[in-house]
Amino acid sequence: MAIPILRQGDLLIASLQAAPTDQDLIQLKDELAERIGHFRSRMVAIDVSALDVMDSFATRTLRGIAHATKLRGANTVIVGIQPDVAFAMVQLGLTLDGIETALDLDEGLARMRPQQDGGTPDDR
Amino acid sequence: MVDQQSRLQLSSIPLTEAEIDRRKKIVDLSGEDLSRIITLRDMVAQQTDRYTDAFFQYLDDLGEAPALFGKREVLEEAKRRKREHLAAMTAAQYDRNYVEQRIALALLYSRHGVSTPVFLGAFYQLLRALGNDIMKSLAKDPNDAFKRFMSLKKVAFFDIGIMTDVLISERERTINLQQDAIRELSTPVLQIREGLLILPIIGMIDSQRAKQLTDGLLRSIRANRARMVVMDITGVAAVDSKVANHLIQTIAAARLMGSTVIVTGLSADVAQALVALGVDLGKISTTGDLQSGLEEAERMLGYRTVRANEAMGPRLSA
Repeated sequence: MAIPILRQGDLLIASLQAAPTDQDLIQLKDELAERIGHFRSRMVAIDVSALDVMDSFATRTLRGIAHATKLRGANTVIVGIQPDVAFAMVQLGLTLDGIETALDLDEGLARMRPQQDGGTPDDR
Repeated sequence: MVDQQSRLQLSSIPLTEAEIDRRKKIVDLSGEDLSRIITLRDMVAQQTDRYTDAFFQYLDDLGEAPALFGKREVLEEAKRRKREHLAAMTAAQYDRNYVEQRIALALLYSRHGVSTPVFLGAFYQLLRALGNDIMKSLAKDPNDAFKRFMSLKKVAFFDIGIMTDVLISERERTINLQQDAIRELSTPVLQIREGLLILPIIGMIDSQRAKQLTDGLLRSIRANRARMVVMDITGVAAVDSKVANHLIQTIAAARLMGSTVIVTGLSADVAQALVALGVDLGKISTTGDLQSGLEEAERMLGYRTVRANEAMGPRLSA
């Protein structure tokens, strides 16, 4: 099942449902890279709150998405990593260094807005 | 009785035939021993009260088990059980029922403050009294008396094995309960501003506590929607590489959830120890003390702290 991508202004939101296959993730990566250019998006939020497992492939793909969108001129924030998932990821050495994370979609968007409005990023 | 039954279940000794046989084998209790012990039956039965009184007199003189003598009914209960014990001991039937009675008596001692060494001392006094009497009654054949006494001693060691097991496991159970209570109190996660948590860590961090700390912090981050966490380790005297690694993992996990952790209160010793361990602290923000950690966190959250009169000042002059 393909992962839906929603558009809201210059924002793209991808919401991962439980247990996406590797194929789904690759398709998401390709589609996001495509649509950023098409819609001239400035921000991408990927919501992973429905996942109770993040394997190395998913982490690597998300990292790839974040880097590719950066090159295409948009910032990515990954939101909603659950406590258990977060600790399991760290123990596997999957720490998403240099990639923006936030508690949930609300928080993630609030964090990106100041940069997008031309303000200075307040905290990092 | 119900209470006693449930306590028996809790005891660490499995009441199986195999276990009882194993314990008999350990003390090398043979059929020959049993027949020797039975011959002592009448002699012990005549003196049961004297032995029992001597046993408890010894405990009382020692003053090490005041709780046992504080309540009359408890003491009577213990004495009754001891008389039963002496009768059972020379009846040479060391079955499940016998072991249950030993466990029940040990639980009674344990509840009333008789410690293992005190119990062993009292038991020795009892054995000595028994031994003296055996030697006296068989003065014509000391060789035979000695053999009978040694057989009885095997049973005594069988009993001691059970009783000390119970005393020790009861003590461990108490200690575990206390540790659980301390652990629950030990790592509170507190919200002091919207989006800002503090996590004061005090004392030793073992692996179980570290896990609890991580769980507690990550769940609180989600529950309180925290963006900043100040982790204060002023109260941690020593950090080894395992603890340091765990703290770093916790901080990385918090970051994955979108929360930034500031570590404060690294003492001189801890700081030097971490450097010596070669722990990679590059990705962790630290400040010297809790105050500056809080100030930094508030600044990142966009708070500005001013004294009330300073805030009023410009407005009054305007």
